Amino acid sequence: MSQPAAQQQLSAQWLRPCLALLMTMAIMLPAAAQYKAARTAFGDPDLQGLWSNASLTTLERQNYVTSLVVSAEQAIAIERSNNAWFETDRRPTDPGVGAPAAGGDVRGYNSFWLDRGSKLARVRGEIRTSWVIAPATGRIPYSAQARLQLRERARPSSEGPETRSLGDRCIVGYGSTSGPPMLNVLYNNNYQIVQAPGIVAIVVEMNHDARLIRIGGVHPPAHVQLWMGDSIGHWDGDTLVVETTNLHPGQSFTADVRHFLYLPPTAKVIERFTRVAPDQLLYEFSVADEAAYTQTWRGEMVMSAAKGPMYEYACHEGNHSLPNILRGARYEEGKRESATR
Amino acid sequence: MRHKQSLRAAINSRQRRLVSAFAVAGTTLALLALVPALAPSARAHHAFAAEFDSNAPVLLRGKVTRIEWINPHGWVHMLVEDAGKPPQTWAVEGGTPNTLLRAGINRDTLKIGTEIVVRGYQSKDRSCTPTCKANGRDMTFPDGQKVFMGSSGTGAPRDGSEPIEGSAR
Repeated sequence: MSQPAAQQQLSAQWLRPCLALLMTMAIMLPAAAQYKAARTAFGDPDLQGLWSNASLTTLERQNYVTSLVVSAEQAIAIERSNNAWFETDRRPTDPGVGAPAAGGDVRGYNSFWLDRGSKLARVRGEIRTSWVIAPATGRIPYSAQARLQLRERARPSSEGPETRSLGDRCIVGYGSTSGPPMLNVLYNNNYQIVQAPGIVAIVVEMNHDARLIRIGGVHPPAHVQLWMGDSIGHWDGDTLVVETTNLHPGQSFTADVRHFLYLPPTAKVIERFTRVAPDQLLYEFSVADEAAYTQTWRGEMVMSAAKGPMYEYACHEGNHSLPNILRGARYEEGKRESATR
Repeated sequence: MRHKQSLRAAINSRQRRLVSAFAVAGTTLALLALVPALAPSARAHHAFAAEFDSNAPVLLRGKVTRIEWINPHGWVHMLVEDAGKPPQTWAVEGGTPNTLLRAGINRDTLKIGTEIVVRGYQSKDRSCTPTCKANGRDMTFPDGQKVFMGSSGTGAPRDGSEPIEGSAR
């Protein structure tokens, strides 16, 4: 072999591993190193905008899948099966068909009212089946004590308005839509971030709640318990880090069709918001409570820029449902009393 | 009996198709727990079972008299005139109008006086005071077309981009 040819071969031998190493390093580089968020007029990283977390990806891994990450082909299969009933539901109804069947789990209303997302989320280049990334099971590591709490929790009754759920009462949005952590539900998965010097506000579409995150400061005493907790933030480079404590005991159990979360008032939630692209936020969260969980658990989500607009969700003003629920309970009580006379 | 057999055949056929899809997709999917489908049932803003009676299905035909385009649930009011019965007003519960607004559907989309058909379930409160109430499980025009229709391929009107493209690197 001539000297130039040998040199060429040597170069090729080294080039491939070097390129592979460079590509690996590029993947492993932290998000902030690849995208520099614009700054606000007062110099903070700009997270402002309207964001959506609508997705088929759920807080915990569902039973039908065993891994955090799935291939593109697997994702298509999952998305198809999940979206099949939407497709069915949007077809015309046979005009000759009568009233629906009685009994069972009958569902609320046509799917056109819903907006839950139709794809699994892509986080760090991976197609994810759960937001929870640690532990590796994709499940919240509840302690035995917490499992007992879950079993014995008070179920909503229709004795009066106070015994109904927070969602029924329009106190906060249902499920953990307002957070922390802020999780996707069946519709209205929109958030608007607004910044001012020393404060970041996250307006949650349901129930147009605003999380107010002050930069710096200390939490109030533990007996002060607030809806959505007390949040203090600081900047770690381009990342907004938010620590939330002082959670309200009324918000300990939150549920959507696709998530159920127990978050005791003593829990501490750390959230990290990083703008990793003009139209994408990386939203990381960790949740700790020595009594409720066997370990601190962590999640990763992406929020995408939403076209909007985000509408006011004036829940209490139009809430016919709560009076209807209570009237229904009284009506049934009356029937039972009449039957026993 | 024949209906049950054909239903079972349809279910088996659907299962076969799904199993085939998942087999192609790979082995990480636990086939025994196939297809949760996540069909949102009762739980949304409030529990269906708390307000409505799943054992009281109704079929309502009538003209729209009023629209309440409000949160947490929109309500369509209608006048039902069944032969031989006095006219009866019904209020029919739908979902949050915010999602439909983003899809360009507003309170004027469904005109007053339009004839609609509602398949749903009556409220537990049967007093019909000041109006009868039901949930609108299925709300269509007389020809079976849905009254409202979302803009996306899944039937779910969407306002923004869910995290589908690109990645959080």
